[in-house]
Amino acid sequence: MPYEFEEILETIKMTEIEHFDIRTVTLGISLRDCFDRNIEITKQKIYDKILKYGKNHVAYAREVEAQFGVSIANKRVSITPVSIPFDSYKAEDFVEIAKTLDKAAEVIGIDYIAGYSALVQKGFTNGELEMIKSIPRALSETKRVCSSINVASTKAGINMDAINLMADVIKETARLTGDQDSIGCAKLVVFCNIPEDNPFVAGAFHGVTEPEVVLNVGISGPGVVLDAIRSAGTVDLQQLSEIIKKTVFKITRAGELIGRKVAEKHGIPFGIVDISLAPTPAIGDSIADILKAMGVEDVGAPGTTAALAMLNDAVKKAGLMASSSVGGMSGAFIPVSEDQGMIDAAAKGHLTLEKLEAMTSVCSVGLDMIAVPGDTPASTLAGLIADECAIGVINDKTTSVRVIPAFGKSVGDTIDYGGLLGKAPIMPISALSSKIFVERGGRVPAPMRSLTN
Amino acid sequence: MRLTEEEIRRITLSAIEELGENATPQKVKKIVEESLSKIEQNVPVDKTAHTTGRVILTSFGLNNTGIVAAITKALSEAECDIQDISQKLMGEFFTMIMLVDITQSSYSLKELQEKMNEISDELKIKIFLQHEDLFRQMHRI
Repeated sequence: MPYEFEEILETIKMTEIEHFDIRTVTLGISLRDCFDRNIEITKQKIYDKILKYGKNHVAYAREVEAQFGVSIANKRVSITPVSIPFDSYKAEDFVEIAKTLDKAAEVIGIDYIAGYSALVQKGFTNGELEMIKSIPRALSETKRVCSSINVASTKAGINMDAINLMADVIKETARLTGDQDSIGCAKLVVFCNIPEDNPFVAGAFHGVTEPEVVLNVGISGPGVVLDAIRSAGTVDLQQLSEIIKKTVFKITRAGELIGRKVAEKHGIPFGIVDISLAPTPAIGDSIADILKAMGVEDVGAPGTTAALAMLNDAVKKAGLMASSSVGGMSGAFIPVSEDQGMIDAAAKGHLTLEKLEAMTSVCSVGLDMIAVPGDTPASTLAGLIADECAIGVINDKTTSVRVIPAFGKSVGDTIDYGGLLGKAPIMPISALSSKIFVERGGRVPAPMRSLTN
Repeated sequence: MRLTEEEIRRITLSAIEELGENATPQKVKKIVEESLSKIEQNVPVDKTAHTTGRVILTSFGLNNTGIVAAITKALSEAECDIQDISQKLMGEFFTMIMLVDITQSSYSLKELQEKMNEISDELKIKIFLQHEDLFRQMHRI
């Protein structure tokens, strides 16, 4: 037998017991050739193109799933940031485009399509301003469209005008979807240093340097890593790092294989494998549980940031060894509502916004799926986003904010979306004001890259 | 995609030429879509992705008589070549792993999986059939 008995059983154990799955196979499609002066023709072009490339996406993914016995949780599509090809449109036209995207996604049988995006870290074009203005309506009048806006980068600095605008957009989106626990905000991410090939929705989009069409894959295996750490028992941190690396190496290799096979079926190039550890609300599929298994009493205890940093670093080292096509976010995700361990820690008050902010400085991606009281002022949200951008800009890393100022709710309440988006307790946010600082507007200049202390 | 943008453009142009003055956007669209679907149907289906190569069959469950017999019988009926077999009993627990070449089989991997599902329901055991590539990728550098 070319494989050991134990090796085969290990793989079966990962896929059958420890929730190892491919989180997403994301088909990136360029829409740069879809513009027409007539919005109706544009809509038809967008619809036709998504159907042309995407109509078999779900079927191909299912075939590969069956072939290898590894389940693929999500099949998704990302597109060119809509603000780029459709720059001459007005806000109402952008809403029409969002509806077209929603319809195309429904027809090809996927749950989310991402790329309702704009990159405005250095300033806005007229079209980008119109597009951002359209976001609350676009997200409240569609189900499947996800939006991301990049407002800062290490090269450009932090666009505070964009942050202020986005704080208002988030508040308005929360209000318009208030009857569904402000679900619109769960589909809206504000980024710093956004990657152009990220397969993970809601922040995915098909970057302008990408080919016509490409397939990216995002793996997921907190359950596998958790089990490996638990069965390791008492070992020192170097050995623990070794154990994490060995496990992640294997799941990355499997992830790349699955991605390449799906791309092969499409007959399109394979892009990248994103090695991020992404949790789900399922029991045992939790980053928080990994941190606890590493030895902190609960997430939020002193030592949490160090444990997370070590985990994230080990994941990256193993992933880079396993594949030459690593890209996207490639870190550990710590979304609160999508991770049962995080939900519990936040509900008990062990995990605060401040501790989360510290944790985001050592892992991807940022303050993710965090619910705050609905009456939080826009200027406070802007302050929160600016802080997160500062961490990203100074440390040359991706950070993001996906915050839900849950309309009509306050601390003690819970929002519940069910499914992958999960549920989150409303977390208290500082009542101190950031108003005067953020309303100065303008841009925080790009940082210097030497004297890095 | 099997057809490039350029090829589709050429088909469209020849459709417009053929229609001459009768060409309307609707007519052209209809003709192009029809001819595209014909072309795509004519492309030979790539069965190799499904049927060639070797798969790993893993089965486990409570030990019982006739498990190996049932599985090997089904495989031989499907003209599958068993290249290696390894079996262990852990207490009452039965585990068997087989390396099976399905290149000569007239069944696709999916059909074989369905066949095995019937056996696993009958004998109350678990049977997985997975392409060998997964194991090679995960456990060999």
